[in-house]
Amino acid sequence: MTNDELDPLIHVPARLKIVATLAALPDGDALSFTRLQDMIGLTPGNLIMHLRKLEEADYIGSKKSSNGSVSITTVALTGRGRAALAAYTQVLRDLLGGLDGDGMPNHEHQHI
Amino acid sequence: MSQTSDTTTGNGGNFDPRQAAALLDQTTQRARRQFTPGPPLLWVFRSVVVLVGLGACWLSVRGQRPYTGPTGPALAVLFALVAANIGLSTWTIKHAAAGVSGPAQRAWRIWAGVMLVVLIGSYAFMAPAYHAGASHPQWGLYPASGPLLIVGLVGAVATAARRDWTISLTMLAIAAAAAIAGFGGPVGSWLIMAVGLCVVCLGTAALRAQEERHNLVRS
Repeated sequence: MTNDELDPLIHVPARLKIVATLAALPDGDALSFTRLQDMIGLTPGNLIMHLRKLEEADYIGSKKSSNGSVSITTVALTGRGRAALAAYTQVLRDLLGGLDGDGMPNHEHQHI
Repeated sequence: MSQTSDTTTGNGGNFDPRQAAALLDQTTQRARRQFTPGPPLLWVFRSVVVLVGLGACWLSVRGQRPYTGPTGPALAVLFALVAANIGLSTWTIKHAAAGVSGPAQRAWRIWAGVMLVVLIGSYAFMAPAYHAGASHPQWGLYPASGPLLIVGLVGAVATAARRDWTISLTMLAIAAAAAIAGFGGPVGSWLIMAVGLCVVCLGTAALRAQEERHNLVRS
């Protein structure tokens, strides 16, 4: 098993944080852009860029609504996004299971 | 934030799987903590509320011959602590639910509303019972355990429907404590409820803490 098997869309610190945060919500629930930004700690521009990439892959869905004069954007993890995170987590588990305490693959010790 | 510098390419750069696992677990735990309307510390606070509040009532009725019910100061302590719990719980719930919307949020709000109505309704039965001529020992037994037996059972069913097993277990334990307290007599029921609910709250705090600490990747 290699790092290449990790989903490149999720295997990025900022996007991993976004997906993990949204996955902590019950299925179907959405989070406002401002709260997500507050929790992740990204600038609005960076967050929009990462959300766009995730939305293009159908990992998240976003919705805009207006409350009087205030426009509210909410984002939620889709079923596809949840499945992608589950698969990513499984690959990570398998990868870490194959590494020893030094971070080297277990089989490499046999050649040393 | 500077961490986004390696992120536009989408390949994660030198993002090591160990770092990814740590970040995933850390982020998940933090998000769970922030979204939980009933964090472990709130349950620890509630355990103090019930132990001190109901314990004060028990101390005030201990040795009463005949039983006349909790004294004014004891009830004042109980009500003050309950008010503090309501205030802190409301603040925590609002904080956790800020910016969150969807079906689970709506179901949670409906559940909270139903539980409030059941709680008020079950305590409201005290007045007719008192006016119907129920003796003080019977009446005194009722507020300590009766309403919480009803609330516990209704809450256990409602939370099981939402698959919130921790709170369902908590509600069932509250009902069990209330049922046992019913056999303790008017004086003993206050003590049984004080200790029983304190143990239930501490148990829930431990379960919630365990849920929050549960790792997705690293065991």
